[in-house]
Amino acid sequence: MQQEASNIASTLLEYIARPLRALQEWLSPYLPGDEWAAYLAFAVYVLVILAGGFGAILSRNLIRAMLGLVLTFLGVAGMFLLLASPFLAFMQLLIYVGAVCVLIFFAVMLTQNTDGGEESRLPSLASLGYGALAFLAPLAVAGPLIVMYAGRVPVETPQPEGTGLLGAGLLSSYVLPFELISIILLVAMAGAVYLAFRGFNPKRGGQNQ
Amino acid sequence: MTTLTFFLLASLLLLAMGLAGLITRRTLVGMLISVELMLNGAGLSIVAAYKSVPAADGVLGQLAALFVMGLAAAEATLVLAMILVAQRRFGKVTVRDISILR
Repeated sequence: MQQEASNIASTLLEYIARPLRALQEWLSPYLPGDEWAAYLAFAVYVLVILAGGFGAILSRNLIRAMLGLVLTFLGVAGMFLLLASPFLAFMQLLIYVGAVCVLIFFAVMLTQNTDGGEESRLPSLASLGYGALAFLAPLAVAGPLIVMYAGRVPVETPQPEGTGLLGAGLLSSYVLPFELISIILLVAMAGAVYLAFRGFNPKRGGQNQ
Repeated sequence: MTTLTFFLLASLLLLAMGLAGLITRRTLVGMLISVELMLNGAGLSIVAAYKSVPAADGVLGQLAALFVMGLAAAEATLVLAMILVAQRRFGKVTVRDISILR
């Protein structure tokens, strides 16, 4: 029974793998080395990041902007996977998509700007011009520098080093930054609670101020 | 042009998009979204550099990116509280209206 199941599974996998292999053979003269799949995945992730990012900064609806942000986070998580850091990819999903986006959603819900608010109009022409300038300036300044100098550094293909080493590093060499980030998180949360509850009066039916 | 170049260009793209959003957005929530974009680009560039250069310690790079993520979470928490306070005081969270210090 198990043998049969594994046979079926391998047959199915063969059906998926055969066209991929044919595609690889067909494309291999045009692609750099055997790393064509990585380049393809990188191109897909860049497209996902571009689509999500422009959605996040241009959408007139803040909920849609947040969904664009989620798309961007997914693309960056894929880039972490390409960089052989699967733990970071999962942390990206957990922290950003799981926590930060929920915070942003709360911020959208607790303010009155989701529909017909200030964000729903297009920005003024001057503001759009400044935005285009702010988009082009980092590309114009740092882009040529990256193209000129980053290519000179000898690089290797990223190798996974195992998640256990990360934990060992957190508890041995880098224990001080670890504790610092804990304190920062604690202080930030205490400050957030203090700010949110300042002026909160339970005797007046929980009315603020 | 090595793989490091491509990853750094992708993170530069994230920085540029975040900066453009920071300029064009009118509300604090939209600006928070843009800042998250930029922080994500920073983490990506750190990991790309540390994992690609042979002499660099890949563990240190991943931990640095984790710290950036922790800072981003703390920053988002604080900004949420600030947005609450601004909403309570001014009734709106557009940056043009939040211009008095006291």
